[in-house]
Amino acid sequence: MSASLQHIRDEAWQAFEARGLPTTRDEDWKYTDISRIQALLGDQWWQSAATEPCDAASFVIAKLDAYRVVIVNGHFDAQASDLPASVSVKSLAAMIQDEPEQVSELITYRDDAFLSNGIVAANSALASDGACICVPDNTRLDKPIHILNVNSGGTTHLRTGIHIGKQAQAEIIEHFAGNHNNSGLTTAVTAIRLLEGARIEHYRLQMEAPKQCHLGRVEITQQRDSSCTLHATEIGGMISRADVVVRLQQAGASCTLNGLFVAANRQHIDHHTRIDHNAPHCTSRENYRAVLDGRSHGVFNGKIVVAEGAIKTDSAQNNANLLLSQHAEIDTKPELEIYNDDVKCAHGVTVGQLDQNQLFYLKSRGLSDDEARQMLTFAFADEVLAKMSNQAVRRYVEHAAFAKLPNISDLEGMLG
Amino acid sequence: MSEVKQERKPEEFTNRDYQAGFITDIDTDTLPPGLNEDVIRHISAKKDEPEWLLNWRLEAFRHWQTMTEPHWPNVTYTPTDYQSISYYSAPKSQADGPKSLDEVDPKLLETYAKLGIPLREQEFLAGVAVDAVFDSVSVATTFKGKLKDVGVIFCPISEAVRDYPELVQQYLGTVVPTGDNFFAALNSAVFTDGSFVFIPKGVRCPMELSTYFRINALNTGQFERTLIIAEEGSYVSYLEGCTAPQRDENQLHAAVVELVALDDAQIKYSTVQNWYPGDENGLGGIYNFVTKRADCRGARSKVSWTQVETGSAITWKYPSCVLRGDDSVGEFYSVALTKMRQQADTGTKMIHIGKNTRSTIVSKGIAAGFGNQSYRGLVRIAKSAEGARNYTQCDSLLIGDKCGAHTFPYVEVKNPSATMEHEATTSKIGEDQLFYCQSRGISEEDAVNMIVNGFCKDVFNELPMEFAVEANRLMEVSLEGAVG
Repeated sequence: MSASLQHIRDEAWQAFEARGLPTTRDEDWKYTDISRIQALLGDQWWQSAATEPCDAASFVIAKLDAYRVVIVNGHFDAQASDLPASVSVKSLAAMIQDEPEQVSELITYRDDAFLSNGIVAANSALASDGACICVPDNTRLDKPIHILNVNSGGTTHLRTGIHIGKQAQAEIIEHFAGNHNNSGLTTAVTAIRLLEGARIEHYRLQMEAPKQCHLGRVEITQQRDSSCTLHATEIGGMISRADVVVRLQQAGASCTLNGLFVAANRQHIDHHTRIDHNAPHCTSRENYRAVLDGRSHGVFNGKIVVAEGAIKTDSAQNNANLLLSQHAEIDTKPELEIYNDDVKCAHGVTVGQLDQNQLFYLKSRGLSDDEARQMLTFAFADEVLAKMSNQAVRRYVEHAAFAKLPNISDLEGMLG
Repeated sequence: MSEVKQERKPEEFTNRDYQAGFITDIDTDTLPPGLNEDVIRHISAKKDEPEWLLNWRLEAFRHWQTMTEPHWPNVTYTPTDYQSISYYSAPKSQADGPKSLDEVDPKLLETYAKLGIPLREQEFLAGVAVDAVFDSVSVATTFKGKLKDVGVIFCPISEAVRDYPELVQQYLGTVVPTGDNFFAALNSAVFTDGSFVFIPKGVRCPMELSTYFRINALNTGQFERTLIIAEEGSYVSYLEGCTAPQRDENQLHAAVVELVALDDAQIKYSTVQNWYPGDENGLGGIYNFVTKRADCRGARSKVSWTQVETGSAITWKYPSCVLRGDDSVGEFYSVALTKMRQQADTGTKMIHIGKNTRSTIVSKGIAAGFGNQSYRGLVRIAKSAEGARNYTQCDSLLIGDKCGAHTFPYVEVKNPSATMEHEATTSKIGEDQLFYCQSRGISEEDAVNMIVNGFCKDVFNELPMEFAVEANRLMEVSLEGAVG
């Protein structure tokens, strides 16, 4: 490891030791209490290792024709992976050996963001592996890349770097999965950089095992006329949180965030997004939906910041929440911070249960109460999933999402 | 043909001087600056307060000393030195106790005349009872007799402590406890005066009750305490208006307003706030840090807050409703205007506890010049609030590219039968709207005015008639330089 990388790692570790995990007294973590993680994983929670092996093959997405990067319990598995030839895809561990300077850059993707909170700092200091993808200028990836992170519990720290060159295009599926009954924690930081005219369709599928905790962060930086579509679905895990930060740095950049979380039992799912409009003529669209059942607790916080001088900003944010049970709870906070008059910004939030009129209508057409409820719940959630252009991924997510809700019986019939 | 028309941008109108800026020179009986238990004992003694109230004040003060000033709002200001404020100031003439308007210091009356509040005319023309607060002590209260006939008590709170101690003791501090927050604790310790309203069972208050607050003596923090109690089935509409003389030193205003609505009672509380906002460099101006809260204790009770906030250097307040009774209703209508260097962090809290409680929030923010404003609101639907309903709409209008408008709505829902909607938009005055008006021969200033008035209409409609006119005029005056 080179001196400078070691230095950055040390700095991050010190920041983590100084700050520790955020608490509910931090405004940003008001509704998400992660103090339980330490109780679950012990004092040395950041290095509790997985003990069981796990089988990556069982998490392959059916009918998906894609390149594959497989990371098992935080370590790249070259044998299970299938890497493209035209595009550079490397494992972080290999890069730490061969190209430490590149890794330093990946970890310090901007200024001191790698120290921004205790979790990111811990990840910066400890990240063991991850995929580093560099799509050169004017290249279009012929198939999606499926980054499959599987674990069998324990703590893993993953760092993913995605660099899309000028006018280049890629579709990437970041997939976190597990099928075990152990406690654990995954921290995952993904930095995406889009150069001029670059396009990415990024899927983030969080389908961790029921006792796994997941703390993720996606940092997207966009240059002129680049376009980013992020589909963020949070389905698994016990306590999970995803922070999405998009920085529209140059004119004409646009981003679309589609999010869905489906929570049941005692799950806690938190989605934080922040879109920084730092340049004129940028567009952002955000649509997040939550379906909450059982005693689950959902949190949504969407922030849009329009800087001084970012004229002709066009931004719309929508958050809709469906409560299916008497004991579910949602805390949502859509924020606007605007320092400029030449903008068009709107946001909306709704919280409610299924519409009685719609239920009545369906029942009057001969559907049973259960069927009608299922259909409406499905339609509510699918509005987000329908925007996925990759049908194989969409089907996969639909199955995972609706399998969790007990009252959805005829899923296959509904999916058609 | 040469171009003679001067391009005038709306921003150019923004810097209009504060029109109510003057200081009346009256001898005041003022305590030296500083705050300790002796000061509180002194205030209490001055007002001939009973033992329990003194103890209540001291308890609040002791609690306050353990608290730290909060810094979470989206405003910046130079911190207040609480030891440099004088906590008591009363017009001298009060010592003689004027019994009617004729006995009131003519200079005071002149001040009100300058502000356009001719007390005596109002008696006849507007039918409004005015409890005018000059600095901290009420000077004249009108229409008392008429109110007394129906059993309504409307008097300075210090008088209420003397005449109706059991009522005050029963309700004071039950909505905003002494330790509720830093400023409420301070207010509880040192409040000097304010209004007390009691509407007995089944009475519909025959007139709008109105208080004009006015900060006058230099360096006197104003700590008003207002307590309104509406018994079963009663109705009252209460108006509060403010304006202050121009000066350079920042002044703290930390009032507490408590409303209690029992079964089927309705309270309508309207505010027009036009305190001195500071000059265009942000120098001077009032800090308006107010705690306002309504407790809808009874079933089917209703509280409606309407506010028009155009003044103050910093406005930081959240008139709130605790919807405890089943089927109770909370409403919040607000227009906030920040121009020059003004900052506002305002909004509301709607706490749904009872079944089928409903709340409506309509907030309109206008930012011009270097003004910054935030809507911060909380809608909390507790597990017990079966069938609760909330509708929130907050719109911001930006005039100029140096101002800011921010929205921080907190939504916490714990009951699935609740329906909650929140909408917010931010935009500037549409160029096509302006163009359309101008093409019809309306000047740009008038057009801007018209559009802003339309923008605020939802809120102005909620104001009582007399106030709506005043609010419209206030917006026009404020925006005359500003938007219109």
